[in-house]
Amino acid sequence: MASFAGLAIVLLVVLVVRLWFLQVIGGAGYQERAEANRLRTVITEAPRGAITDRNGKALVTSKEVLNLVAQPQDLVGDAGARTLTRLSAALGHPAGFFAAKVARAQKASPFEAVVLEEDASPQLQAYVEERRAQLPGIELQAAYKREYPNGTMAAHLLGYTGPIPVESARRYRDQGYLGNETVGRAGIESQYEGYLRGIAGRQQVEVDAHGDIVGRGVISQTSPRPGQTLRLSIDLSVQKALERALAREVAAAGTSTGAAGVAIDPKTGAVLAMASLPTFKPDVFESGTPREIQRVLTSPGRPLLDRAIGGEYPAASTFKAITASAALASGLYTAGEQIEAPGSLLLYKTRFRGFNNEAYGPIALPQALEVSSDTFFYTLGDRSYRVPGWPLQEWSKRFGLGQATGIDLTEGESAGLIPDLAYKRQTCDRKVDPINCSWRPGDSINMSIGQGNVLVTPVQMAVAYGAIGNGGKVVTPTLGNAVVDADGRVLRDLLSARATHDLGLPAKDLDQVKQGLKLAANGNGGTSTPVFGGIPSVFKVAGKTGTAENPSKIDHAWFVGYAPADDPSIVVAVVVERGGQGANSAAPAVCVTMAASLGFAESRCGSGAKVN
Amino acid sequence: MTTLTGEPHGVRARPRQAVAGLDWWLLGMTLAVSGFGAFVVRAATESDVASNSGFYFTRQLAFTVVGLVCLFFVLRLNLEDLSRYVWTIYAILVASVGAVLVLGASARGSTRWIDLGPVRLQPSELGKVVIAFVLAVVLVERLKAIEPARLSLMVLGLTMLPAVIVFLQPDLGTALVYVAIAVVMLWVAGQPITHFIVAGAVIVAVAGMILYVLPAAGLNVLQPYQVDRLTSFVDSGGDRTQSGYQLEQSKVAIGSGGAFGKGPSGATQTINDFLPEHHTDFIFAVVAEMFGFLGGGLLIAAYFIIIWRAIVIMRLAPTELERLVAAGIAAMLAFEVFVNIGMNVGIMPITGIPLPFMSYGGSHTLTNLVAVGVLLRIGMRGRAAQAAGAA
Repeated sequence: MASFAGLAIVLLVVLVVRLWFLQVIGGAGYQERAEANRLRTVITEAPRGAITDRNGKALVTSKEVLNLVAQPQDLVGDAGARTLTRLSAALGHPAGFFAAKVARAQKASPFEAVVLEEDASPQLQAYVEERRAQLPGIELQAAYKREYPNGTMAAHLLGYTGPIPVESARRYRDQGYLGNETVGRAGIESQYEGYLRGIAGRQQVEVDAHGDIVGRGVISQTSPRPGQTLRLSIDLSVQKALERALAREVAAAGTSTGAAGVAIDPKTGAVLAMASLPTFKPDVFESGTPREIQRVLTSPGRPLLDRAIGGEYPAASTFKAITASAALASGLYTAGEQIEAPGSLLLYKTRFRGFNNEAYGPIALPQALEVSSDTFFYTLGDRSYRVPGWPLQEWSKRFGLGQATGIDLTEGESAGLIPDLAYKRQTCDRKVDPINCSWRPGDSINMSIGQGNVLVTPVQMAVAYGAIGNGGKVVTPTLGNAVVDADGRVLRDLLSARATHDLGLPAKDLDQVKQGLKLAANGNGGTSTPVFGGIPSVFKVAGKTGTAENPSKIDHAWFVGYAPADDPSIVVAVVVERGGQGANSAAPAVCVTMAASLGFAESRCGSGAKVN
Repeated sequence: MTTLTGEPHGVRARPRQAVAGLDWWLLGMTLAVSGFGAFVVRAATESDVASNSGFYFTRQLAFTVVGLVCLFFVLRLNLEDLSRYVWTIYAILVASVGAVLVLGASARGSTRWIDLGPVRLQPSELGKVVIAFVLAVVLVERLKAIEPARLSLMVLGLTMLPAVIVFLQPDLGTALVYVAIAVVMLWVAGQPITHFIVAGAVIVAVAGMILYVLPAAGLNVLQPYQVDRLTSFVDSGGDRTQSGYQLEQSKVAIGSGGAFGKGPSGATQTINDFLPEHHTDFIFAVVAEMFGFLGGGLLIAAYFIIIWRAIVIMRLAPTELERLVAAGIAAMLAFEVFVNIGMNVGIMPITGIPLPFMSYGGSHTLTNLVAVGVLLRIGMRGRAAQAAGAA
């Protein structure tokens, strides 16, 4: 009987000890968990800021929609699983579809609402509303969705939004994002995320086990803060003209695999238009089907590549303006000197052929640019090889080639390639061809006409020609113009503080190049005179064609030019992949773009006198 | 030992003598815990019934009052007299729990109650006291008449018949209480230790069969929720099953109470309904959440006093019959307290055993108060016998 009492004491002491561990030692931890049970944060989404063109025309807006969401706290156990299965079946998905979605989202960020379907259709809204009681934990939640009033227009530069990628979930969380937020993933959307981002309002409420608000109700709250409106320097009408022209040239060329164009204000670096083909629907990552997304990601045409800033092409004859500048500045060529320009040139026991083996006799630099004489520039290339130093490389660099321009699309810009000795040493095969590990005369000669290993992006060429046109100022191309308030008042200027640097080319040398570029578009023998010769003289264009040899056998077509020639307000670079000769496919697109910007009739393009 | 058995009508005494030898500690603690229980039921259920914040409280108070009336009636109940009708009583017990089973089956669902119009009676609850009495009578009568092994088997057989019926209702917790009462009574009656070892081995084997072996063979004796409850305390934590959830919420409620509790209005686990069954099986967690380690510890201390007084009374008992009845009741109280609180704090399986004097429920409140009445009478008679012996 004493043992009975003893047993009772032991058992009760066990309980007390256990209670001590739970309450006194583990109390703080359980208090946190009780708070997590009781407090729920209700999120009020804030719209993402709109993106407009320079005149305030909408490029991207936010539309209010209702998303079908699941509240994981209310979907526990078998009942929750049944609800999700029923919903999956009702919406025509496989049984485990939504359960898997919820489980995935829960792993990434527990306790947050999980979006099951974005932008619920009216039928779906009605379905859920009518079955509120049968679908505990399922609700419609106000949210915002990106809308693109101009369709695929400017898709590459605008970029797209999407869910926070799993690999950077932590970084976003540290910046105060919720796990299920939509963020800028590419282009301007990503670059200016800080301004565009709307900050969701949070309301902390006390709830009971059924998710109903009880007790003191709202415990704390912050209001939602909409994202700011971003005004770009893009001119929608110029953008439209450029995209239309590129599409037409790609179609006309038949074999073309893509095209890109950039129009910049050479005075400020403001990007007026920028386009790349093939393109994609910018909302594909927000509302596209998995198949559509897969196609965009894996298509051999690489539609996500922004060729205007990330496409690297041989510069071809457009590079002659840089060779000319280098030769003038380094004293390899003096204004007025006439150089023999035969059909081909035998140098170092190698025959270097000019385009179509055409011979021009002795000509000066401006004429050489006008007719795009290859042999004239071979001679300059040869001269640059014979002097100490690296004039072609140095001036390429001064023009901004071989390095990122610093456009406000940090991700996606390529540096291109200006070959030099170091490059040759890195890429040569010492066993098979050791002599290729040195810089050879042929390298300088090929480089003089922009072939060899020279690779440039359209935006680099626009900046380089802009520097010629504007009297020697290398600008930083800039898409962002300003952050503005609802009335269009500027809150933050994004453009005027952008860096520029001086080219350092004496004015008289610059004049030689400008003269040549003007002749090339207007002179009797000008390569693009048929395209530009007929436009009103106040808008006279200066620019250079290029026909870039490349591994595909069909040449890429280039044109880079600015207008009006004497005081340019626009510089345009266009490349049409496998578009043939520059004058045929790239130059017309440039002309159409300039017409839209400067305000002359598009029909004047291509009305120049036919030469020869 | 036989001092008072010659009185066929029990002790009929004047009022002053009516309370002579009353165990004030036991009565006081019972009243205190019952009152505290009603208070906690009120605090826990204020928002549970939309239009009536005192719904459970009022009813629990009524149950307690009825229980106390019964308690004072039982103070005059002569167990020796009653022992003449032991088989009738046993038959009524088996018949009533059997009736519940049959009625439940015909109602195409499970039930534990007999519906008597305005009152629903749960015969299996009152059966706890009844089984203690029946077994005591059998043990006293047969202890010297038959050999120990047969006696043990007989006692267990008498226990298992109603226990199995109750288990099938299904009410595993109450069935286990029957078994616990029987085991302790056999022990107190001085049955050989080997019986308990054999019984223990059989219980482990049967539990293993029911929980693991038979289901593997495709035969499920227990309802899935019962298996879940029995095993969830072993691997508590991450599981999303209902009983795992209950246990987790119970531990969160208890743990978050800390040393001094969150008070009745701050006990969000309880009043926001995260803690299920907060007025019945998990009422201890409510106490611990509202009043902390201090409150929970004091409540356990109160139960210690009650069980201690029961054991004291058992020692004072003037007859072997009363000694065994007191032992059965002490076993019942101790078992219920330990298993219920143990399941609240996560060291015992969830078996649906209510906490004496605290958990909401009519039959259960009535049963415990009647049991205390029986103890009090035995104590009074024991003290009277002592006084007579000393005189």
